[in-house]
Amino acid sequence: MKQFIYLFLIVIFSCEKDDICPETTQTTPRLVIEFYDLTNPDVLLQVPGLYALGLSTDGIEIPINNEIVTTRSSIELPLKTDDTETEFILYKSYDIVDGEVIGNPDRIKVTYDSENVYVSRACGYKTNFDIQTFAITTDTDPWMISSDILINEITNENDIHVKILH
Amino acid sequence: MKMTSMLKYCISCLIGCLSVCINLNAQETDPTIPDSLVVKNKYGLRVGVDASKLARTFLETDYSAIELNADYRLTYRLYAAGEFGNEEHTTSTDYLNSTAKGTYLKAGVDYNMYTNWAGMDNMVYFGFRFGLSNFDQRLNSYTIYDTNNTTWGQTEVLEGKDFKGLSSSWLELIFGFKAEILNNLFVGINVQLKGRLSEVQPDNFENIYIPGFGRTYDSGKFGVGFGYNISYLVPLIKKAKK
Repeated sequence: MKQFIYLFLIVIFSCEKDDICPETTQTTPRLVIEFYDLTNPDVLLQVPGLYALGLSTDGIEIPINNEIVTTRSSIELPLKTDDTETEFILYKSYDIVDGEVIGNPDRIKVTYDSENVYVSRACGYKTNFDIQTFAITTDTDPWMISSDILINEITNENDIHVKILH
Repeated sequence: MKMTSMLKYCISCLIGCLSVCINLNAQETDPTIPDSLVVKNKYGLRVGVDASKLARTFLETDYSAIELNADYRLTYRLYAAGEFGNEEHTTSTDYLNSTAKGTYLKAGVDYNMYTNWAGMDNMVYFGFRFGLSNFDQRLNSYTIYDTNNTTWGQTEVLEGKDFKGLSSSWLELIFGFKAEILNNLFVGINVQLKGRLSEVQPDNFENIYIPGFGRTYDSGKFGVGFGYNISYLVPLIKKAKK
């Protein structure tokens, strides 16, 4: 009899964790970009003071969660799950001096198809993307020179989806 | 692997208890008792409803169900038992809202472990059931799970989708009490531990709730349930305890 009761208790109390989506579960993935050396395209090259901002359809700059100015050779960017294109501004050597933003901003635009995929009871659905185009908007002083889509399907953040030469 | 061993454990528990009770039963036969006073027990068909499901139907807006149950006494301790029901339940989490609706049937046996005083027919029982459910699910709405949604905001998809022709089967261990409160009128409570054997899953979705089985869990094939029954015994024959 005791065994029965224990068994019921175990089942009942072991259930709660099921309602929380584990952090280790891959939910909606971000676009992963790596930066390579223009003169030697197989070698990663860090971007000094790299900082990214989202750009809304009205052209308003939107801060990205957890995005801070750092020197690094890769970046993860969240795509809009309710749209088929997202624009970002990527700053090289971003800094604020006397309240003025200095650095070199370049714009990028990604267009994609998206698909909502069921994950689990706790996590619900995630959105996977399929990159259609990736473009660097040309300006007078570009720091990103060319780009290459390595993997079109964005299903996780372990893949490198786009390579940028600078 | 873990689930298989758990299921094995449940089955061996059941078999273990069954054999213990059968042995006890065998020992109770005592030929030295004179049969000048023969006490007879009622045998017949007991039919009832699950009152907790009816109560929830009236009290909860996201739930409606009716369950009829019946058992038929085979021997002094053994009953053939089953439930038949229809259940509709809407599950709402932070990221999903879906409604399951369908019909189920459970069939099995109950074994009365309780040795009654002379002429009484109360039960402390356990038993098992094989359950079968046919149902539909409607995904009413969902919110995309995106840990980086602070930038662009959450996307909620309101366009519903129907998933028809779903089914599931499961095994159930049941433990409960039944007491005769008025002549031939019984009330009972029971708890159920269930393990799914099979299921037809919807495409790009999952069985969130299975009528008759209850809610499902990400971590495995197990489920729990409880019942509160009111039933009436139609006595057909009276037999002396052998």
